[in-house]
Amino acid sequence: MNITSRLLLSTAAILLAGAAPACAAWQPQKPIEFVATAGPGGGTDNLARAVQNIVTKYKLTDQPVVVVNKAGGSGAEGYVYGKASAGDPYKVIFGTSNAWQQPLVSKVAFNYTDLTPIAAMAQDEFLLWVKQDAPYKTATDFLKAAASGDFKMGGAQSKDTDEVLTRLIEKAAHVKFTYIPFKSGAEAAVQLAGGHIDSHVNNPSESLGQWRGGTQRPLCAFSPKRLPQGPKITATEGWSDIPTCVEQGLAISQYEQPRTVWLPGKVSADQTAFYQDLMKKVQATPEWKDYIEKSSQVDTFLSGDAFDKFIKEDLEHLKQVAAEQGWLVK
Amino acid sequence: MISRRVLEVSTAALTGSFGLAVAVSSIENGIGWSTAGVDSGTFPFLAGVIIVLGSLYNFGRGALTGAAVVVSRSDLRRIAALFVPAAIFIGVIPAIGMYLASAGYMFGVLALPKHQSLLRSLIIAALTPVALYVVFERLFLVTLPHGALAAALGF
Amino acid sequence: MENIDLLLHGFTIAITLPHLALMVIGVLLGILVGVLPGLGAPNGVSLLLPLTFGMQPVSAIILLSSMYWGALFGGSVTSILFNIPGEPSSVATTFDGYPMARDGRPTTALATAFGSAAFGALVGVILITFLASWVAKVALAFGPAEYFAVYFLAFASFVGMGGAPPAKTIVALAIGFAIAAIGIDTVSGSVRLTMGIDELVKGVNFVVAVMGLFGIGELLIAVEEEFHARAVSSKIEWREVFRALGRLPWHGVALLRSAAIGCWMGITPGGPTAASFMSYGIAKRFSSRGKHFGTGEVEGVIAPETADHAAGTSALLPMLSLGIPGSATAAVMMGGLMIWGLNPGPMLFIDQKDFVWGLIASMYVGNIVAVVLVLLTVPVFAALMRIPFVIIAPLIVIICAVGAYSVSNSYLDVILMLGFGVVGYLFKKLSYPLAPLVLAIVIGDKAEDAFRQSMLMSKGSLGIFFANRLVTSLVVGGVALLLLPLVLQVVRMLRGTAPDQAKPEEMRIT
Repeated sequence: MNITSRLLLSTAAILLAGAAPACAAWQPQKPIEFVATAGPGGGTDNLARAVQNIVTKYKLTDQPVVVVNKAGGSGAEGYVYGKASAGDPYKVIFGTSNAWQQPLVSKVAFNYTDLTPIAAMAQDEFLLWVKQDAPYKTATDFLKAAASGDFKMGGAQSKDTDEVLTRLIEKAAHVKFTYIPFKSGAEAAVQLAGGHIDSHVNNPSESLGQWRGGTQRPLCAFSPKRLPQGPKITATEGWSDIPTCVEQGLAISQYEQPRTVWLPGKVSADQTAFYQDLMKKVQATPEWKDYIEKSSQVDTFLSGDAFDKFIKEDLEHLKQVAAEQGWLVK
Repeated sequence: MISRRVLEVSTAALTGSFGLAVAVSSIENGIGWSTAGVDSGTFPFLAGVIIVLGSLYNFGRGALTGAAVVVSRSDLRRIAALFVPAAIFIGVIPAIGMYLASAGYMFGVLALPKHQSLLRSLIIAALTPVALYVVFERLFLVTLPHGALAAALGF
Repeated sequence: MENIDLLLHGFTIAITLPHLALMVIGVLLGILVGVLPGLGAPNGVSLLLPLTFGMQPVSAIILLSSMYWGALFGGSVTSILFNIPGEPSSVATTFDGYPMARDGRPTTALATAFGSAAFGALVGVILITFLASWVAKVALAFGPAEYFAVYFLAFASFVGMGGAPPAKTIVALAIGFAIAAIGIDTVSGSVRLTMGIDELVKGVNFVVAVMGLFGIGELLIAVEEEFHARAVSSKIEWREVFRALGRLPWHGVALLRSAAIGCWMGITPGGPTAASFMSYGIAKRFSSRGKHFGTGEVEGVIAPETADHAAGTSALLPMLSLGIPGSATAAVMMGGLMIWGLNPGPMLFIDQKDFVWGLIASMYVGNIVAVVLVLLTVPVFAALMRIPFVIIAPLIVIICAVGAYSVSNSYLDVILMLGFGVVGYLFKKLSYPLAPLVLAIVIGDKAEDAFRQSMLMSKGSLGIFFANRLVTSLVVGGVALLLLPLVLQVVRMLRGTAPDQAKPEEMRIT
């Protein structure tokens, strides 16, 4: 392992020495640390490792890349670490929208403004799922039943994306759910398969295997248009066969979770530009397309002002829900 | 040197103050149990209260125990001989990094009290950081702290 | 039986030269990460993962799972030799394994541990082979209330035993709960008990606590008592290895009981750590030599090791069949499955027969490879006990510091570890029990989460713990285990025997 990595490195160095233009801006001089704010196997961890894999394979930098997991406190550990590493351009933090959502609803010792935004890559979609043998064929049926019954909605974490979406559904459809927070979406999926909860709003990749295995099925997608046509998941259906929630009369036209990439605060514009460029190069590879397809995400790339605008809009959205629910930290 | 009474009482004081801190800081999280579920501070608060009550009991029992010496002067000297260098080793890691600190620590505890010959101490002290480097940094890609010194020298 | 045909087909996939070579590599690397505290199977597996992207999925999973077996075995080594558990699930092994090693029997302790671990793993694999679909259904029956009941059962089987003063036991247990609560709370999302230290938002890692409490704490006790491990004979004791293995069948009841507990906890969400604690607690209660537990009793090593490996093996099943990882390592492997283009879940057994049965067959072969390799290392590890104390003591300090640091690259953890060392010394000196403290750190927050999720579901009513037969019987079983020592005492008093003189036989009858 050792020898191979060194071999790869030396070849990379030779290639770069030959190819790199003389006027190259900032280049890393030390090994780079990718900090995943999720445990091994989590969505954000998979992203960090996919990027690491591509960077190494195409020798996009001549420095080795190491992935470190800092998943404690629902990812807060990773962000706090990023904040503490201000000025260090060798730590790249991979997260989600909780970089700006978490500080709003809990007393964590960081805010997204302590970090330098690089890019938002890949958006995860959300769907409404019920147990395979549930009597509801459509989201309309389900919401009608939920209006009169006491329904349990499961999700990953508390006051995070899943619960926010649950509260948005409540508002749009005039229903009330008992929200049960679990450690992860995978756990919520198993609880649904066992019939302990009535529904959840998992991402496609979190419940793909369960859908194929016939323990649960999606009712609608929280997306402005149907999900892209992919291979069939079950014998008869694929992602594009799932109606959007708006089609089903549930007026939430868009709800997505971006995967975000950050540097610590107080880094130079050169360094920020280097990583933005790196991520763009990653996104152009066939391996990236493959990763996006396998994890059923949507390919996006937001950086600079577009990313800022996205965060501001999402924050406005969240502030409203959080204020109504009394979640805002004093 | 240290009597059982002193040790019991001070340990109970230690656990008791931890319990008190836990209970007090849990109140901020909210303690309650309603149809809306159990608040996040409830169980830590209970745990804190139990620690305080148990520690009070242990404190009382401890104060009544005999003054027999459980840690003698020579015991204490041996403990200090192990603990003080270990604490110094850990204390200097941020400044000089894990590698220098571990080498210095090994050399210090082996050569200074003349447990080992100077040469052997030197060899063991030199091998320790090398082994750490190979196993952690090269094999498992865990970066150990290099310390402020290394950063100042540009590593 | 269709399964037997499939399994035989699986063996033709697993027993090929390249796959056997992968197993040897995986096991050796696994032993290394298992032996080094702080590095665990999850580190090793996530490190190897990128190397497997070009491989056939079945080869990749054989490499990764072999590493997992190696790490499970390796984790017991430091527990026994230095009282430093390398993995959460090997804490219970220290209780009797370390006293055995200290008394000059490290070879016996290691060989016994490995032998019973292999037995546990074997039972786990057999369970997976023949009852896969049934097991998957059982796991689905567990909602939050049932989760809580399982944790309660694990606690009940463990607390209330041992001779520590009750007030000290309760304090130790409550401190464990408080430590487990530090950080972000899953159910409310709020930050708890960080006491103004921002970094504590990540919580206190178990490994950090245990390396201090056990590793450093024991070191301080040893140096104070001028205790130096009894001289171990310098001959390589192959005969002792075989003798220890040969004696295992005499503990057949303990082996079977522990394997059953392990499989049960591996399938249900209890996991290997709870399994090993529970198995130790129950063995102590029901063994005829229960009184001697904690002083270097062979069955005190057999019980946790067998249960740990039975649980660790059967925990892979929920990952494959349901897509829920039973452990951190399984989570990394699941990430791998996705990257290799496989979807864990109920369809895997139908769509990917070669993969699934190749893996199951490799579990048999991989465990045999692992136990052979690890037994070969016994004399090497036992020889570590001959290193003079003046050299080994600072080495243990360094290993604990590096281990604590590598858990999450945090210097704060190193300082916490040293603090836990002082607490470990004080507690041991004043006979505060460490086991309940550690158990509470490991499963305290999980039990609390499950309890509060249940309360959300039931609108605050405790009735949910008696809502169906499964949860009721778990709760009743837990209460019974909790009350058992009391009942036994009352029975003895009625018979007019002082508890101290109670004969072991009587305990078995009652």
